[in-house]
Amino acid sequence: MKEGKKINLLTAQNTAIVLFFIGFYGLCARRNIIKTIISLGIMGGGVILYFISINHQPNSMPPIMGEVGIVYADPLPQALVITAIVVGISVTAVALVMFISMYHTYGTTNWQKVKKMLNERKNK
Amino acid sequence: MILYFFIFVPILLGTLLYLIPRKEVKIIAFILQIFLLGLSIYNFIDISNNGDVIQVLGSNLAITGITLVCDQFSAALIILSAFIFLICYIFGLLDKFVNNLFIFLFIILQSLIMSIFLTRDLFNIYVLVEVSTIIVSVLIMFKKDSVSLYDGMVYLISNITAMTLFLFGVAILYKNFGVLDIDTIKLKMQYIEHSRSLILPFSLMITGIGLKCAFLPLFSWLPKAHATPSAPSIVSVILSGLYVKVGIYLFIRITDMYSPAINLNTVFLIVGILTSLVGIVFAFSQSDLKLILAYHTVSQLGLILMGISMGTITSYYGGVLHIFNHAMFKSVLFLCAGIIIDHYGTRDVYKIKGVFKNLPFVSIAMIMAILGITGAPFFNGSVSKYLIQGGAKNLIINSTIIIINLGTIISFIKVAKILKGSSGICILHVRWYKRVAVLLIGSMCLIMGLAGPLLVKGLFNYTIDMTFAIYIEKMIVYIVSLAIGYLLYNKVIHKLKFVREGISFDLGVNEISISMLAFFIFLVVTTYITLI
Repeated sequence: MKEGKKINLLTAQNTAIVLFFIGFYGLCARRNIIKTIISLGIMGGGVILYFISINHQPNSMPPIMGEVGIVYADPLPQALVITAIVVGISVTAVALVMFISMYHTYGTTNWQKVKKMLNERKNK
Repeated sequence: MILYFFIFVPILLGTLLYLIPRKEVKIIAFILQIFLLGLSIYNFIDISNNGDVIQVLGSNLAITGITLVCDQFSAALIILSAFIFLICYIFGLLDKFVNNLFIFLFIILQSLIMSIFLTRDLFNIYVLVEVSTIIVSVLIMFKKDSVSLYDGMVYLISNITAMTLFLFGVAILYKNFGVLDIDTIKLKMQYIEHSRSLILPFSLMITGIGLKCAFLPLFSWLPKAHATPSAPSIVSVILSGLYVKVGIYLFIRITDMYSPAINLNTVFLIVGILTSLVGIVFAFSQSDLKLILAYHTVSQLGLILMGISMGTITSYYGGVLHIFNHAMFKSVLFLCAGIIIDHYGTRDVYKIKGVFKNLPFVSIAMIMAILGITGAPFFNGSVSKYLIQGGAKNLIINSTIIIINLGTIISFIKVAKILKGSSGICILHVRWYKRVAVLLIGSMCLIMGLAGPLLVKGLFNYTIDMTFAIYIEKMIVYIVSLAIGYLLYNKVIHKLKFVREGISFDLGVNEISISMLAFFIFLVVTTYITLI
């Protein structure tokens, strides 16, 4: 009886929410440009985990139709997640490429220093 | 079938043109633009006569498939985007920087914007906005100088973060409803028992879209992106005239989707008022021509937000009409600013003088746009501002709109001063097609103003009676506010310290993320309070 009352907090969805906000914290608090890009990746990872855990049932089969009487996994989140992963990869790639060319011009990985250099140039 | 053409023809042709680099590419791209404009007008007429077009991809049922839906609003926005892209092609097609890569990015961006206006699938919206964000950031840093690299990077990171928030909201919504189609979710929304389970997805999605629409704490990326020094002026036109409207369009659709369960009109009305006031204060204090225009985009977006969340049908129509009007006059202003900056070699409004003498055609277009944006009678801004004002039942809101208009007038007196006087700078000749483009879209400000009641009838099937007395009344109000604005600018505002020196509101990526978090928490709290 006691076991039934226990609420399992360590579910995939809660992990996903925590991951998402860890990524958000990184965006708010880290000044390193690469860490910003990594934080974006972590946020995306949280969303992806949330998506695939939405209608998860234990012992479900891959959604390839054929046999009757088996629990199939929800196919739509999986299809969406593949797209989200592809989009995430390309965004990370573009951001990193932009970072490289930024690094070549400014020579720093710090947002604050880049801003300072820009302001100095403006004042000149 | 016709809806597919707006998406597939530009993408396929754009890719093909990029793979076959020949000189004729520019001509084919130009023909494509004319074709798309014609098709969009045909589509609009078809929809006004026969009703909405719904096309389902991937399935027979709208619930399980991916739907493309085109109603009159979407069709009108597609005409708008085709028209503005055509003007941009006429304006910039023969410029040196327009190479195959630029044309490729431009065409793809156009088809993405059109498909955002057509799709009703939340995940589709995410993918399309994400891809267009990447393209826009590449376009911002197209000339690859140091300032635009930073601006493009800030744009990319902040907008991608916003869309990740949006996607998380979509995921939670999918958990609740099991579908991704906006119309179906709206239908299901009224049967939901625990409307508190919608607080999180609502706040996440509106925060994401709020950054795209540049609401109050989230607008600091916009001036950077829209007015970055080296970006070509046609990119600024697309961003400021068209691309921010994508955010407003999504805002309208998403709040409409949530409307059976959550209604936060009053909150958004206040956000709109604050956004437009803050936008004007920042616009006062800039000396950079493009930055003034970019901050005005913020304030006009606030005005549009006020219109659509006022709660009355008249002001809603006014807000929607202002989307189109703002696209027209802001495009003219950015194109003219581009020409002026190219010729004078400076962006400082205090240093530019004698534009009317040197560039008469450009100046005429610019004057028409300024009359439009300040709401002069017979010009387009007046019609939509009249509608927004007409729906305001409250005296406070009514006077706020007049104050906002006064602020717009004051800061455009600052801009209009560059037309006066004479300067000894030897001026190059403006190419004829640039003059044609600027005058064409400039005269649209006047045409849309004169045909305002007709336009409202065609778009929304709503009649406004613009009698002669109303014109006279508006004329008097406009002249009085013009006089007050002129006096205020010369006697008071001109001498204020912060206007002289300029204040900058330059948030980095960290600060933008923190303001996003703050806006998110604000939304969660207000939604929670309203649902109790």
